[in-house]
Amino acid sequence: MISGTGITKTYRQRGNVLGGRDVRALRGVDFSIPKGGAVSFIGESGCGKTTLGRIIAGLETYESGEIVIDGTPMSSLRPKRREAEFRKIQLIHQDPYSALNPTRTIHQTLEAPLALRARRTGRPSSWVDDRAEELLSLVGIDPGYVLGRYPHQLSGGMRQRVVIARALTVDPEMLVADESVSMIDVSMRLSVLALLKDLRERLGVSVLFITHDIATARYIGDEGELYVLYRGQVVERGLTESVISGPVHPYTQSLLSAIPVLHGLERPGRERVVPTEALDERHADSGCLFARRCPFRTERCTAELPELMRVEEPPIGGLAPLPEAPGAAPHEHACFHPVRRSVIPEEAA
Amino acid sequence: MTMNAPRLLRRSRPAGTVSGGAVPGGAPRPDAGPPPGVRVRDLTVVYKTPLGELPALGGVSLTIDPGTITGIVGESGSGKSTLALSLLNAVQPPGRIAGGSVEVDGLGDVLKLKGDELRGARGRHLGYVFQAAQNSLNPLKTVGKQLLDLGRSHGVDDLAALVRDARALLERMGLDGARVLDSHQHELSGGMRQRVGIMLALVLNARLAILDEPTTALDMITQATILRIVREVHKERGLTTLMVTHDIGVAAEVTDRLAVMYGGRVVEHGPTMDVLGAPSHPYTQGLIRAIPRLSGDPAEARALPGRPPTLGTLPTQGCVFRERCPLRMEVCETSAPLPVRREERTVACHAREPYASAAGRGEHA
Amino acid sequence: MTVTAMLPGGQGGARATLRRNFWRGVGRVLRRKPSRIAGVAIIALFALMAVFGPMLYPAHLPRDDNALYAAPSLAHPFGTDFEGTDVLALVVTGARYVILTGLATAIITVAVGTALGLLAGFHRGRWDTVLMRITDLQLTIPGLPLLLVLSTVWKFEGPLEMGLVLGLLGWGGIARAVRSQTLSLRERGFIEAARGLGLPTRHIIVRELLPGMAPYIAMNMLIAVTGAIYAQVGLFFLGVLPFDSNNWGVMLNLAVFGGGALTSAAALPYLLAPLLAILLLTLGIVLVVDAMDEIFNPRLREE
Repeated sequence: MISGTGITKTYRQRGNVLGGRDVRALRGVDFSIPKGGAVSFIGESGCGKTTLGRIIAGLETYESGEIVIDGTPMSSLRPKRREAEFRKIQLIHQDPYSALNPTRTIHQTLEAPLALRARRTGRPSSWVDDRAEELLSLVGIDPGYVLGRYPHQLSGGMRQRVVIARALTVDPEMLVADESVSMIDVSMRLSVLALLKDLRERLGVSVLFITHDIATARYIGDEGELYVLYRGQVVERGLTESVISGPVHPYTQSLLSAIPVLHGLERPGRERVVPTEALDERHADSGCLFARRCPFRTERCTAELPELMRVEEPPIGGLAPLPEAPGAAPHEHACFHPVRRSVIPEEAA
Repeated sequence: MTMNAPRLLRRSRPAGTVSGGAVPGGAPRPDAGPPPGVRVRDLTVVYKTPLGELPALGGVSLTIDPGTITGIVGESGSGKSTLALSLLNAVQPPGRIAGGSVEVDGLGDVLKLKGDELRGARGRHLGYVFQAAQNSLNPLKTVGKQLLDLGRSHGVDDLAALVRDARALLERMGLDGARVLDSHQHELSGGMRQRVGIMLALVLNARLAILDEPTTALDMITQATILRIVREVHKERGLTTLMVTHDIGVAAEVTDRLAVMYGGRVVEHGPTMDVLGAPSHPYTQGLIRAIPRLSGDPAEARALPGRPPTLGTLPTQGCVFRERCPLRMEVCETSAPLPVRREERTVACHAREPYASAAGRGEHA
Repeated sequence: MTVTAMLPGGQGGARATLRRNFWRGVGRVLRRKPSRIAGVAIIALFALMAVFGPMLYPAHLPRDDNALYAAPSLAHPFGTDFEGTDVLALVVTGARYVILTGLATAIITVAVGTALGLLAGFHRGRWDTVLMRITDLQLTIPGLPLLLVLSTVWKFEGPLEMGLVLGLLGWGGIARAVRSQTLSLRERGFIEAARGLGLPTRHIIVRELLPGMAPYIAMNMLIAVTGAIYAQVGLFFLGVLPFDSNNWGVMLNLAVFGGGALTSAAALPYLLAPLLAILLLTLGIVLVVDAMDEIFNPRLREE
């Protein structure tokens, strides 16, 4: 179980001599990822999803807030111990081309972390090669084919599998997949997604999936949770299926409406919102962050900042809510005028 | 034409004339005829590699009806970008157009054009919006100066009118025309740059627009806006539009017709609704099934086995898709399936031929 | 192919296989262009000269007082010097000093420059500031005047001392360049992944960062060799350093200032022979430099 409360992060942009301006990448984000669970962060570029993922993987610092890994608050640990804790969380990079060292064979790439573990745990050195083969088989590639090869000799999909195998060398509790399939050919994307799904089921590894593509987030964790981020704030969260089929926040609705409709297979959603494009976001931060782009904004929206609140039942819009399993994550939103809208494409008859 | 660029750009900015002007930016010029049709015949493009000359396009034939938006969909190595460049006769070494023809209405065979004729045709007849338009602008010049360079290189006499047209087009696409013309590339967002790319491709009144991956690297909502603009501008200016993309969803959203490419060939071509609703070629079927969707059972999505071919791994004879094909037959090993047209749909697959057993007739080069 | 067949004897076997493949790749790269083979041949020739040259001749080269500044002949292909000693013999025996100095300089330049550049670029922050200030300091030292001053107080006994001094005066450029390369490489995904996996800093610098810079370092090293050869020959030519031993620069100095090679034809072969040797060696190195990128980049090597 990995959770965080009130995480903030500000990037100081270097301006002229008179001083720069600050970009607030994260404005106090709470999250919790259960063991073996699947959580997705979605949003446009600049919403803070990648920064948050990197913070969770221990690759980036944060200003305030607390991250708790298996009950241990990270702020209570010395740097060495903290590093070891964060090692339980491994990041799968977006670009499988730069994620592997081009001068090292796959065998060398896997051997280094395994040999380190073998030394620390007193395993025999033969364990290293056995484990490397085992991991490659686990991610669905033939060890005999790839071990002696260099990354450039492998396809994008295979490289991404090697990257996953490398992450598994330290027996992580969670994989953070940041747009991990966006650079892979369409026909092979799904098999890498299926692998992540499979690892979750077989090894109990939890998966944090960071993407702008909500459909892939749904594929990875249809029973998991979805966080919608906008300008460093969570604006909606809940069970993936319930957020996708009954989004409440206008931003979520815009994102879902922007997904191309496969005409011929699907019909556009009945209440599809015409999305408003990103604006120059250097304006002052009073009121709801999305207000300027929001087709449904009122005066209140520009004056007050909405906090995350539970979706009220009985349903506000035309859609009935999905039955909530006991103990499941509640559907929450940060909007003064929540209305469930059916915006996703429907199956054509 | 001794006016300097800043004056020209400034002069064309009389307040209010454009927003309420008589000629909306989307409308075609009064002298414009019908949109052009395109006929590609047996187009073969080879790339020189250490292993010899390998075909990136292996005899592609494709008819694009006037006034349609056609999507060309394929994965890396399918030859879709090479096809788009061939339409401009702009294949760069080590590539070489080895045969075939590209007939564009009102222009003739583009592959026969040379030098100044070809340069003139690009821009005036053929408008190309580059892949990742974010990098196709000169970072050192304002958009306006690049526009004037474009006009001068095409011998436009009335540069002020060109600037007016450009502003109208930009405003049609929802931008502040004057501000954008005064901006450098780094002052524009991805979606704005993409619109500038579209403006530069269309401002000389090209009637055939070729968009290469127009929404790659754009955010979802920006992508949706650009796609809407493409569709609207296409209609208002009476264009024939070709959109090259790897994303079947993007193509589905805007196109009337869809051509699916694999291994340097067009394997299926037909109305978008039909191709998506009832795909016929096993590759098209596999590709559609591999897309994670927002509705329906997510577990229904299935990955396509194997990997897309590269120039080096493309089989030299037989069907290019057979390695990954669930319908593979004996004949697929030896003879490449010919495109067979039935009504609106053209499919190149032995398993879909009316007489699947009539193998070997007409070996396709 | 099974894994056990590919990795006989575990890790050690795998390493041996890799090394064998590497050298096979090097051969392939060199064979791609005839100029590279020529370069290797030239370098090999001078290497042999440096190793075995002095063994071919007696410790004190014979003089022939009857043939001072003799014209080229079969017995003396490049004529003789002011004492009647064979010029070819002087060139061959002088190669060791020149090449040893060149090598020593190059190794010191590259070792110091790479180490400091890597550390500064990888650790950034305070390390970077301190190391780069030291580098700036080194870069501002005027080499030639310092050498002139040094030579008055210190006798450069052998080629290695010479190389040490030249090397310590020349690493600044490489340190700066390696630092900027490190800064860009360390942002790559695989470095971050190595850190995330808890691999030690030493591993990251030596195994992950260094190989990526190998082509660059190798090129700089070869170019440093040529630079060092010019520098020391120049110093000897100017007569700044005491002529204890036989050296191409000493030959040039004696030919010009002693033999009047610039005004009379008699000493011309004596002048041209060491010049030719320097040119040929530089040419050999330059021809090989072009292969470095392909040798150390697996993608270019294996193709």
